[in-house]
Amino acid sequence: MAYNVLIVDDSATMRALIRKVLMISGFDIGECYECGNGREALDILENSWVDIILSDIHMPEMDGVAMVKELKKHQMWRHIPVVLITTEARPDVIQPFLNLGVQDYIQKPFRPETIRQKLTGILGEARTTDASEIESCDF
Amino acid sequence: MLAKLKAATFEVLETMFFLFPESLEEGEFLRSRGPFLRSSVTIAGPQSIRIGLQVPQSLARKMAANFLGANEDEISQAEMEDILKETCNMLAGSFLSKLEASAAFKLQTPVIQVFPDGEQKKSKPEKSLRFEVEEELLELFVEKG
Repeated sequence: MAYNVLIVDDSATMRALIRKVLMISGFDIGECYECGNGREALDILENSWVDIILSDIHMPEMDGVAMVKELKKHQMWRHIPVVLITTEARPDVIQPFLNLGVQDYIQKPFRPETIRQKLTGILGEARTTDASEIESCDF
Repeated sequence: MLAKLKAATFEVLETMFFLFPESLEEGEFLRSRGPFLRSSVTIAGPQSIRIGLQVPQSLARKMAANFLGANEDEISQAEMEDILKETCNMLAGSFLSKLEASAAFKLQTPVIQVFPDGEQKKSKPEKSLRFEVEEELLELFVEKG
């Protein structure tokens, strides 16, 4: 099963790197969307199905915290797994995100296999969650 | 502090760039031709510090090519600058994670400067860690922010 991925980072080169790492990690990618901040990410989600979001924390216009808060308010987006890709993995930086429901984080520098392991683990869990959510969702 | 910064440098260069730096001893000389790119980032806190990284453009190009898995002739100036800023950011993040009191510090946005050959010593702290990377000079400095 191919997964649609959304990469949110204000650095175009970092987005290119993450995309490349996803390709070489052997992870099964469908569509790979990219944008430079949380606001643009929400715009993409309005029109596209995304299975997982890989996001930076510090970004202009709408940062990672604000984006995750918006996601959690939205019925269709609240269960999309979010993984932070960040240079700062200190507890005081990461814990607020985990409290908001972010699934996991990857600290830069990272190896391709780290991304693959994290995403495979998370999407396995997410599929189970999705199924139960869809059953209980009132369309 | 310098030992932690050195460890962070090895970690970032090896993991993200597949480059293996070697420390240069006091008095060891390595000639690099400019222009030079210098990226720096401030770590704000009770005692703010600034971490900087300076490389010749030829090494910045090599780093960018390795980072993106591209050929060196495909790398633009903007990509070199972006990657050097990102490198500095990763160095600072890795360095912070090695500090016990890191919660009190906050990473600022990295900046980049370009110096023509001969002007690379401008406003650079005298004390720096020097590394040989692919027969090029990589300098790292830390100073009070």
